[in-house]
Amino acid sequence: MKCSTVSCASELHIGLLPPRHREPRNNAAAVDRAATWVGLGIAEIGAMVGGLIRQGRPLPVVLTTLCQLFDATVKGYASSVLLLDRTGASVRNATGPGLPTSYMTQLEGRRVSWIETVFGATINAKTPMIVLDGASDTLPEGQGAAIAAPPGVRLHEASRILSLTGEPLGVFAVYQRESHPEVTCCHSALISQFTHVASAAIERMRCDEALKRSAALLERTQQLSSTCCFSWRVETDDISWSKELCQLFELDPADEPVTIELIGARIHPEDFPSFREMIERARRGVSDFEFEHRLRLPDNSLKYLRVVAHGTRDQQGQLEYTGAVQDVTHRRHTEEALAKLRAELALAARATSLGVLTAAIAHEVNQPLAGIVTNASTCRRMLAVDPPDVEGARETARRTIRDAERAIVKRLRTLFCKKGATSESVDLNEAAREVVALSLGELERNKVIVRTELAGELLPVQGDRVQLQQVILNLLLNALDAMSGIDDRPRQLVIRTERDDEDRVRLSVRDTGVGFEPQGVDRLFDAFYTTKGSGMGIGLAVSRSIIESHKGRLWATPNDGLGATFSFSIPCRPQEVTTGVTGARSPGAIRASALTNAEERHVRSV
Amino acid sequence: MRVKRPLVSVVDDDESVRESLPDLLRELGYSVRAFSSAEEFLASDSVRETRCLILDIAMPGMAGPDLQQELTSRGQEIPIVFITAQADETVRARSIEQGAVECLFKPFSDTALCEALNAAFRVSSAIQRPGEIT
Repeated sequence: MKCSTVSCASELHIGLLPPRHREPRNNAAAVDRAATWVGLGIAEIGAMVGGLIRQGRPLPVVLTTLCQLFDATVKGYASSVLLLDRTGASVRNATGPGLPTSYMTQLEGRRVSWIETVFGATINAKTPMIVLDGASDTLPEGQGAAIAAPPGVRLHEASRILSLTGEPLGVFAVYQRESHPEVTCCHSALISQFTHVASAAIERMRCDEALKRSAALLERTQQLSSTCCFSWRVETDDISWSKELCQLFELDPADEPVTIELIGARIHPEDFPSFREMIERARRGVSDFEFEHRLRLPDNSLKYLRVVAHGTRDQQGQLEYTGAVQDVTHRRHTEEALAKLRAELALAARATSLGVLTAAIAHEVNQPLAGIVTNASTCRRMLAVDPPDVEGARETARRTIRDAERAIVKRLRTLFCKKGATSESVDLNEAAREVVALSLGELERNKVIVRTELAGELLPVQGDRVQLQQVILNLLLNALDAMSGIDDRPRQLVIRTERDDEDRVRLSVRDTGVGFEPQGVDRLFDAFYTTKGSGMGIGLAVSRSIIESHKGRLWATPNDGLGATFSFSIPCRPQEVTTGVTGARSPGAIRASALTNAEERHVRSV
Repeated sequence: MRVKRPLVSVVDDDESVRESLPDLLRELGYSVRAFSSAEEFLASDSVRETRCLILDIAMPGMAGPDLQQELTSRGQEIPIVFITAQADETVRARSIEQGAVECLFKPFSDTALCEALNAAFRVSSAIQRPGEIT
């Protein structure tokens, strides 16, 4: 194969060697020929270059050595490697130890264009149209000024260095020294072999680089997401365990190969059964798994881990899991702190709302009580004098009874009808959910299982949301108290909402507590009536006052089984009435009256 | 010699207190006037004569402590017994600290009231001008 066969006259592209991926890999004849030329076998050159790469020498150093090897091998020729950038369009790095540095520097950053050449009869390929030698005047327009070859040499051959997939990586350019005119022939096969080695070297280095970058990226990502990775070949129990994972488990990577047993020893004893179960399940067949467990480390500290793994079978049918382990300790701690904070907040909120309510009730109760007690004292004193002031005492007693009558419940009723009460559209489901959420801590402390059975599409009611929630809360706390001594059965609480008859909504709170005596049912809602050791016995009286101010009804029924159910039922907000019109007018009636108005207007305009 | 019954004024917006307390006070031997608000009391001619003021803390308009301040700024040193339906120890402590003789939580017993009045009159006699007793 001789360079002069190329049809183009330019010296720039004197020859095109078949790209590596098209060349038979074991071209024994070519290797033999090269070997006769070189004296140093091409295989040895490959090994030398490979050695440099393994030593981690940078690519320019490796390529310089390659050129030096060529130059030493072929008398009268100097070689260079032009490394292209990733786009393959310009020279990133030019190495030519046998050529003037000034010339090599000039080539760096130069654009490379590729031109179609006909090589032999069968191969159409592109050859680099590089501005290597200014002797040529055949450059296409826009290629810029040609760079003159250094004095004393002329370009002999430029060979493309291609990757296995045919991507241009660089150019291997060989120059003939005019000082050695006697050497006229440089074997193309040799150039081909060197090009091949250069290609392998560049590609290997690029792969290493990509691998390093990807490993660095993986490591950074693992650090950022507190995630480590592993793989597990099930048949052989071969476990690849990342360095970070060893750190996480506080295992010494140098100690021994990581085994399931070693991992198991770190699992928190309480989580160990589920860990073993998961391992067994994973062994049985391909299934992705995901679970959270705790680690107990040698210093007794805890870590929370989340494991996600994906199972695959290779071509031999061997099962392998690849997975990620994430340290979620920090998140868990945050969640726990949040839950604690939420519970405290709920408690504080409840204490505040109840505190406000209790204070208001105390005020309303103590006020008339003051009058009653004062009158009683007056009575006693009137009767103690001699002669007793019977008439005065009688009058005072009369006033006392009157005060008592108008006191307490009546006053409480007015308390909840005061201006402070707002009237808005209230979704009882939402109100109940909020109360349950607020009471979760209390329910948990009392070991009460709460279940909500909330009706879908519940009509809103019109009323004071906070007051209604106080009633729900009161019923809930009463249920809790009723169950506080129950140990022989589950403490269950069911909050249920449903559509009642006649456009009413009903909410009931059912418990499995001590219940109440049937004969006591009438007194349940009386103020100061209580069956509890603590408490004023005022909650239900207040609740009834609130419900009655909402035009509703509050009642109690003993359960068929154990415990009691307290329910209230209040009218729904009339639908389609948004203008503040309340009452029992049906939507039809409103439409009819609107029509009448329109008709009236029509009549007037006529 | 007839001892003039010392005047005790009651200021409370609650009607039942205004009706019941004066009866008891009269039984205890005082002359009594009742007012439904601090403003009404201030506008009356009883301010100068009052030897003891039984004053509700929470009232619409001028509250009990406001009246106390107003009297102090006017130089009217009337011993005050506060009464309140809000059983709040901090309120009680503060009012005593600011010069009240006592603070009673409603409902209060006649004994507690007598003790408070006795204390008030000890204060009252200390600041009483000579020649008051006729």
